[in-house]
Amino acid sequence: MNPVIPAPVPIPLPAPVWLIQLLMVFTFILHLIPMNLLVGGAVILAVSSYRGRNEARHRELARRAAHAMPPVVAFAITLGVAPLLFLQLLYGQLFYTSSVLMAWSWLAVVALLMLAYYGVYWFALQQEELGPRGFWVIALTALIVIYIMRTFVANLSLMQQPQVFYARFLTGRAGNYLGPAEALVFTRLAHFFLAALAIGGLGLAVLARSWKAEAPELAVWARRYGLRWFQAGTGLQFLVGLWFLFSLPAEMRGAFLGGDRLSTALLIVAVALALLALIAARKSLAVGSVAILGTVSLMAVIRHLVRIAYLRPYFDPRTLPVEGQWTVFVIFAVLLVAGILTVGWMLFHFFRPAARESTR
Amino acid sequence: MNYPVWEPPMLGGGLIIGIIAILHVFVSHFAVGGGLFLPLTERKAYRENDAALLDYVKSHSKFFVLVVLVFGAVSGVGIWWTIGLVNPEATATLIHVFVWGWAIEWVFFFVEIAAAFIYYYGWNRLDPQTHLIVGWIYFAGAWLSLLVINGILAFMLTPGHWIESPSFWTAFFNPSMLPSCIVRTAVSVALAGVYGLVTASTLRDIALRTEVVRYAAKWVLVGTLIIPLAGLWYISTLPPLAREISMGAAPAVTIFAALSIFFSVLVVTFTYFGPYQHPRYFNLTFAFLIAVLALSTTGVTEWVREAVRKPYIVYGYMYANTLRVEDMSRVRQEGILKSAKFVHDHEVNPDERLVSGEDVFRVECASCHTVDGYNSMRFAVKGWSQPMIEYQLLHLNELKGFMPPFVGTEAERQALRDWLASLNPQPATREPADSGVQAVAPAASSGASKP
Repeated sequence: MNPVIPAPVPIPLPAPVWLIQLLMVFTFILHLIPMNLLVGGAVILAVSSYRGRNEARHRELARRAAHAMPPVVAFAITLGVAPLLFLQLLYGQLFYTSSVLMAWSWLAVVALLMLAYYGVYWFALQQEELGPRGFWVIALTALIVIYIMRTFVANLSLMQQPQVFYARFLTGRAGNYLGPAEALVFTRLAHFFLAALAIGGLGLAVLARSWKAEAPELAVWARRYGLRWFQAGTGLQFLVGLWFLFSLPAEMRGAFLGGDRLSTALLIVAVALALLALIAARKSLAVGSVAILGTVSLMAVIRHLVRIAYLRPYFDPRTLPVEGQWTVFVIFAVLLVAGILTVGWMLFHFFRPAARESTR
Repeated sequence: MNYPVWEPPMLGGGLIIGIIAILHVFVSHFAVGGGLFLPLTERKAYRENDAALLDYVKSHSKFFVLVVLVFGAVSGVGIWWTIGLVNPEATATLIHVFVWGWAIEWVFFFVEIAAAFIYYYGWNRLDPQTHLIVGWIYFAGAWLSLLVINGILAFMLTPGHWIESPSFWTAFFNPSMLPSCIVRTAVSVALAGVYGLVTASTLRDIALRTEVVRYAAKWVLVGTLIIPLAGLWYISTLPPLAREISMGAAPAVTIFAALSIFFSVLVVTFTYFGPYQHPRYFNLTFAFLIAVLALSTTGVTEWVREAVRKPYIVYGYMYANTLRVEDMSRVRQEGILKSAKFVHDHEVNPDERLVSGEDVFRVECASCHTVDGYNSMRFAVKGWSQPMIEYQLLHLNELKGFMPPFVGTEAERQALRDWLASLNPQPATREPADSGVQAVAPAASSGASKP
């Protein structure tokens, strides 16, 4: 049976497909950084909060690191908007269909996000009052963000399998589906989750540097502790990533194992950068962070190539008519640069040494 | 038509959008007005060398961050989530027309969020001058983001020249964009005052409380005085049918429009005679009363704005059930089931007439109606005979100006009729032949009360 896919909107795309894809992948990389810090950070904080019942240094770590979380949530959300916008522009007819099929689950993301956000604030602002109960707040928050991650993985996996849409529609009321539960979705989630732990750990190691002046011992220990998460997460990823690769359909896996030069090269460089990060992070956080950012970026590109491969039999956005709205695009590009400069200016004043001294 | 239809029981998709949207509007306008309130009040504190007032601004900024950054931002994303689920076709259309507008808004949103954090965490880290500038950057980001979203919202009601000459600019600079922007800015100023009243009412220092309460009350009064002036201009730009619907043609909408004025007057009266005239006696309960009245005003006004757009979702271009005007004659000929993607059969199945009828309902009606809840069909057709239902379907847009015409083949209309009739046990005695005309009058008016 032919797959049932809604028709794309009869309005031309406002920019060529390559440009939209470029923006989609680029902004997705931007989103991945705070998103990983949020999921990984919440788990690490939950662990430290639990161990903090008996160990003062864990308690102190949780207390200090918690204050970094509210901005992390804010930017995970803000930076997530753009890639989802471009995704809806290019693949709307697939994305809306999969979203409608799992509507309740998908809508729940909004409510859960709000709960998680307030959870993070509660944990950060009221630690003294919460005491040991703080563990439950942050542990629940961690579970919520993991569930949100699951829902994203499920919806975006369903989106690239339009051949199941109609059958799914016939098997029950639209909206009640929780999402595909095949092995691939599970390995994909495991892959994302480990990445989040690794990057959350690396984020902690970086954050700990700012504690040097006030709590030098804690800073040294927290850096090592964060790096342990990073190393464990990245090390396990070599297994889970391999598992993920082998759970892909044969022809896609083949593309990354020599079948397609670009895909294979991207994967090799991404893995090599992860190895480099693993070795270098202990010596230099900067080198480790840059290397792992390289891995994350290449993985986002690889993910996009996998999506294209999945959808090849059904839909190619390059077949859509294009009528560039260039004036508005240029305004967007100029404003984007101006926006980044403005935020940079504010951060410069916020973090400059004079400002830091006046804190106490 | 293109998509599978999500039917949330009882509420229906439209009401879910409405609930999230009204709460979001109440907070997001505060996000803008509060962005003006904070730096202006902070500057006042510096100028008058008023340390107590500065402390108030600090504590207000914490409240602001907790309400705006979390609830405001997430509920805004929530509206986007919901419209994608309830009206994917319309959402996709808006994104195709406005994607760069949204991308620009995203830049403002990003700057706004960053500035809010730096403002809040920067009280002790930044010198007063820089801190104030960050406050102004926040306000600029927030207001510019209102400007963009307002353009898109106004477009849905008054797309203007876009229909004949589609481009981003004709869509954005549509007839009601400017007056609507002024109304929303004024609402933001008033709401900044309302929230200011809430935080000011909890101040312990009586002298400070009196000062800030009166100051915040002025914000409410100034904002609410601008609204009716810009509002009249806004109303003058609306399509004639939209004006008629709000002024008598559809009683429920007219009642809500009147309520909007009534609640606004109450807000002004309570604010003037309460916190403005007698700031000393103002307390948190009173502040909540004003906040609830302001929320009610926001709620009914946004509801009216949505309701007067009927029967369209993009005026003159796309009907509320996401059928495009340009597709109507094709769908009328081919049939709705053939045009739809997610239905059980692509023409009326003689063995499963009720399934086909329900499919027609889902595709063509479920964006506004539920079976048993909001705009319930079971209730709407109660006591109607089959010919009566058929008559209504044939003249839907004439009998109820805010509804799109029924499109589909005769067989589809009859299948829908049979399914609608099956919702209630049929009355035993009624002559179907001549009941149609007689029953129209009361039925039409009862239908009109539920747009």
